[in-house]
Amino acid sequence: MMKDLVKTIVIGFCAGVICGFFSTGGGLILVPAFMYSLKEESKRARGTAIFCILPMVVTSSFFYYKGNYIDWKIAILCAIGGTIGGYIGARLLKKLPEMFLRIAFTVFLLYVAYNMIFV
Amino acid sequence: MGEIVIGIISGIISGTGMGGGTILIFLLTFLFKVDQHVAQAANLIFFIPTSLIAIIVNIKNKNINLKLGTLISIYGILGAIIGANISINTDVIALRRYFGIFLIIISIHEIYSIIKQYKKGKIDKNKDNI
Repeated sequence: MMKDLVKTIVIGFCAGVICGFFSTGGGLILVPAFMYSLKEESKRARGTAIFCILPMVVTSSFFYYKGNYIDWKIAILCAIGGTIGGYIGARLLKKLPEMFLRIAFTVFLLYVAYNMIFV
Repeated sequence: MGEIVIGIISGIISGTGMGGGTILIFLLTFLFKVDQHVAQAANLIFFIPTSLIAIIVNIKNKNINLKLGTLISIYGILGAIIGANISINTDVIALRRYFGIFLIIISIHEIYSIIKQYKKGKIDKNKDNI
């Protein structure tokens, strides 16, 4: 019981720090953590992760706002596109070959990482 | 207008559960030469409407563990306060480098889980043969 509480605190706190620092990546910590450490099934792990990340995102937004880093024009246009894309994605998801997508995504990530570190 | 297209691409990828935010930040900094901090801030705002819809759907489908979610959120908010404050006080170029390193860690995790899934697929196929 105590062990589970410690796990929960560490997982939540780490996800929060990453989410605040990079503004992304909370889900990459929470989903596997929920599945392997707290024994949730995949669907519920994803659902619970999004539920947890929203308050972290809202909190982070406040500080980015205070730091004067929010460009509302860019942010709102991206959000509009994101809502449309999210809807398309949800429909498309069942039809796309997942393995191919994941490999493509990983190759792309490595390319991005190289650009960000060395260029 | 270009921002909407970037949003759509990232939104589609978000739906697959593979970090749409990462793509959004990269495209904004790479194509539009937006500063790392501003791109990250845009990603935060980008996340809010899509996730709200997802949360409503998930609550309806009972795909959320509310007790666990609330607990994690409390500690997550504390973490976010610290993380966001460090971030806004970090130099732009340094933040970009850290982000790159973070992406490598994600890639390694992805490669690991792709291999795991591939092996699992193989086992399932063998089962079918038996």
